[in-house]
Amino acid sequence: MKKQFLKAGIVGLLMAGFLSQSAWSQSDPTGKRRVSATYAITNATIFAAPGQQGTKGTVLFREGVILGMGANLSLPKEAQVIPGDSLFIYPGFIDGAGTTGITKPKDLERPKDFVSSSPPDEIAGITPWRSASDQFSIAGNQVEDWRKAGFTISQVMPDGGMIPGKASVMLLGSTGSVNVLLENTALAANFRGARGMYPSTPVGVMAKFREVYQNTTLALDHSKLYASSTGVKRPEMTPTQAGMSAVVQQQIPVIFTAATDLEVRRAISLQKELGFKLILSGLENYESVIDLIKSSGIPVLIKLQVPDDKAVKSQKADSVVTSDTKAQYERVKEAYDKALKQASLLEKAGIPFGFSTVDAKPGDAMKAVQAMIKNGLSEKAALAALTTNPASILGISRVAGTIEKGKMANFVVSTDSIFKEDAQIKHVIVDGHLFDYEVKKKAANGNGKSEIGPVTVAGVWEYTSETPAGSSSGEITLTKEGSAYTGSISYDDPSGSGKVTAPIKNVSVNGKTLSFEFDVNAGGNNLTVTITGEIIGATMEGTMSVAQFGSFPLTAKLSSPSLSN
Amino acid sequence: MKKLNIILAALLGLGLNYSYAQTPKGSVLIKNATVLTVTKGNLENTDVLVQDGIIKQVGQNLAAPSGIQTIDASGKFLMPGIIDAHSHVALDVVNEASAPIVAEVRMKDVVNPFEIGIYRALAGGVTISHAMHGSANVIGGQNATLKHRWGSDDPAEIIMQDAPRTIKFALGENPTRVHGRGNGIQPRTRMGVEAVLRNGFNEALQYKKGWETYNSGKGQKGNTLTPPVYNERLQTLADILDGKIIVHCHSYRADEIYMLINVAKDFGITKLVFQHTNEGFKVAPEIAEYTMGASVFADWWAYKMEVYYSTAFNAAILQRNGVITSINSDSAELIRHLYHEAAKTQRYGGLTDDEALSMITINPAKQLGIADKVGSIEVGKQADLVIFEGHPLSSYAVPQMTFVDGVKYFDIKADKDDQRQFVSATEMVEPVFLHSEEDHQCLQDVDAYFEAFQGAFLEEKN
Repeated sequence: MKKQFLKAGIVGLLMAGFLSQSAWSQSDPTGKRRVSATYAITNATIFAAPGQQGTKGTVLFREGVILGMGANLSLPKEAQVIPGDSLFIYPGFIDGAGTTGITKPKDLERPKDFVSSSPPDEIAGITPWRSASDQFSIAGNQVEDWRKAGFTISQVMPDGGMIPGKASVMLLGSTGSVNVLLENTALAANFRGARGMYPSTPVGVMAKFREVYQNTTLALDHSKLYASSTGVKRPEMTPTQAGMSAVVQQQIPVIFTAATDLEVRRAISLQKELGFKLILSGLENYESVIDLIKSSGIPVLIKLQVPDDKAVKSQKADSVVTSDTKAQYERVKEAYDKALKQASLLEKAGIPFGFSTVDAKPGDAMKAVQAMIKNGLSEKAALAALTTNPASILGISRVAGTIEKGKMANFVVSTDSIFKEDAQIKHVIVDGHLFDYEVKKKAANGNGKSEIGPVTVAGVWEYTSETPAGSSSGEITLTKEGSAYTGSISYDDPSGSGKVTAPIKNVSVNGKTLSFEFDVNAGGNNLTVTITGEIIGATMEGTMSVAQFGSFPLTAKLSSPSLSN
Repeated sequence: MKKLNIILAALLGLGLNYSYAQTPKGSVLIKNATVLTVTKGNLENTDVLVQDGIIKQVGQNLAAPSGIQTIDASGKFLMPGIIDAHSHVALDVVNEASAPIVAEVRMKDVVNPFEIGIYRALAGGVTISHAMHGSANVIGGQNATLKHRWGSDDPAEIIMQDAPRTIKFALGENPTRVHGRGNGIQPRTRMGVEAVLRNGFNEALQYKKGWETYNSGKGQKGNTLTPPVYNERLQTLADILDGKIIVHCHSYRADEIYMLINVAKDFGITKLVFQHTNEGFKVAPEIAEYTMGASVFADWWAYKMEVYYSTAFNAAILQRNGVITSINSDSAELIRHLYHEAAKTQRYGGLTDDEALSMITINPAKQLGIADKVGSIEVGKQADLVIFEGHPLSSYAVPQMTFVDGVKYFDIKADKDDQRQFVSATEMVEPVFLHSEEDHQCLQDVDAYFEAFQGAFLEEKN
């Protein structure tokens, strides 16, 4: 496996703090070698599979394999014991289709004789021979974030154009391990056109997909004839056709990214016409195609995200709007409620769906699942969507998806029943490797304030954030206007020295959680930065995140007005 | 073996129409209307009986079979559903602008049944629209003929599955600008457009021959023939040569119209309709003699150089020279009052009521190859109907109810303020454009293509 070190430095910085906490090995200068690969989590509540009651007991595992579980296990001497009292153990989560850890390969230089109406496949985004394994790094983008969210296995897809290449099933495990579980498990495809060349739109992509597929079929026929007869012209199978062969021969499925109902129908129409195996991924808006999905028996991976509630939250009071506006509000509200209910409708239809983490935010993953549960999805189905369903879709049920003797030691250990709002993930175990996470204490109730008292948001916050480029700091100024907040943020100028100030937008305050966005212009690209933090008194702790780059810890304190006044 | 069949089916242009969804069919008795049949004169105080989506009887004092709803249309006018021969409503993508020939792309792949434009068209009495690929390419994609079955969430249900295949061609400024000026490849000029067409068809002939040779040899013992490269672009051109597809060609100038007639003659293409046809009046006899007609705007021009030599009498001149002539919208706004556009042929050219109405009913039906099914009120035809308050060619006409296959999809009395089928959960107010900046949709999506390619340089858009 080739590793991409592009982002290694970034994550290296982030990882440094974490590794120093677990430096057990005294004689190992790297501090990475484990004292023992045998662990026991004792006296915890174990939820071995979706729908099963939690049972008190111990889980024992060695070198990534579950040795046993139960109440009366005798523990070997070398077992490192993790007291699990008051903790809850679940099977490690599995991401059906993701891009975590993937670094996009550099765009190829266009040849001198480039003609945009018939570009080479490689430049037009048709690269079925590429493998996600070559683009993946365990130290890469967001691997740590998704692991912290409980994910232990991800089927990662390569980055690229309409046919970026083949997916691989990866463990989100230790940096010292070979984390490939299965290679070339599926072909990734989507409706994204190539920029400024053929095929540039979804309608061109569909036509091109048919052409590539049909010619692969013919190339295979040609090869067969060549193998069985003499006097036949030598087959000249292109890299594209070689890369597509496994799909045409139905050895592996195509994972089609299809966000909307219309895209789902488009993918299914290609599948019916051409006859390949299909997995639908990244579904966001699919209520009207649930019956179609059911009748066609195609596995689905819905996006691990719920629509943002900004449109619903920003609705003004009935008293100040016209009846027309009110009617529009109702429809947006109805659309929002329906969107949240979709997952429960899949469950009702008996469709064993999984999740895709592509373009979802790791920090909001459990919130999204909780929102689905609030809207009718059963906890059993939710857990199945995170564990057994994707295991079965990826064909790894034999080793993953449940906590059973002999299966891989992949667990999520939480402080409470995992779907409760207050539950926090304390440990994630991947392939027997332990990852510890800091658990925040619940806000003290003793100071006379109610738990969710009024939080002070408005004012000037001084923040520091640990970014790959080092420590970064600035001021966040928030002003309350009516029920909404506006303001600005200063930050280190990425293209020089000094500070730049940008307006902030989409400020939302939910309980103690503050979140907002701002745009940074970096080298001509507009990046949207999201800051989310929890306010406790005059301090805030949270993250600063940039899509595609990951998220970085951030702390802030209120410098004005002073709360002590 | 199964795979082979699939390929053969695709090569034969059959496709696998997996989704012949059962579309809704209605029954209704419309009483006492002034029935404008378009093809068989006007019938006063007449009833029309529709059963299971088909016009069963036209006559007086018809009785409603049990269970069939009766609508009293006394004092009102009943006409066939309006057909728009040139539209881009309900398409998610209009232009695959990236190559001079993209005959392989299918607009049926990107039909969007949720688009509000369908409902607005119904409110203007339009029951069928020809959802065309744009005009960025000399040979564009294959179009979709849509039946406006508003409320369906399945694109297959609004596609008129029994309509023949049609394809978009484009001559003149659009393809030469996009490919020649914008991209430095052929065609740069009108001569280049003709060369692209002739080269394309010659290649298609070779392609077809290559497959015929392979198919005839491959079953034989000791065969060493290997399959040719599959190319749906050339296969589609071969289908045009075989008369399986009707060509609808975006054109303005008389010289280029005549050029395409000559190309068609040379390659034996007979199914040909001209779109826009701005200077059609100069070559009306030639169009009448050789083609399936011309589809024009009533009075819309001067939006670019090649559309300056124009007259509002174009439609009337074409009609009186024997050209099958239709009036189209090419616009999500104009589609809402095509009856008004048709009436302009009476002001400019003095056409009769039947001639004017033909331009938005039976004539576009002929150009789309569906005149045996729709386009007039006749027993046995599909019941696409509109009830008007006021004569449809009057300035005061207001559509009241619109039916497709006997099912009512628009009723002015049940017209809710918000007819959207799909509402975004995350946008407070979705942008709504009654009259978008870009009037023609012919070049929709091309801007984005060029912005990606080398920056926006298009000063004019249509």
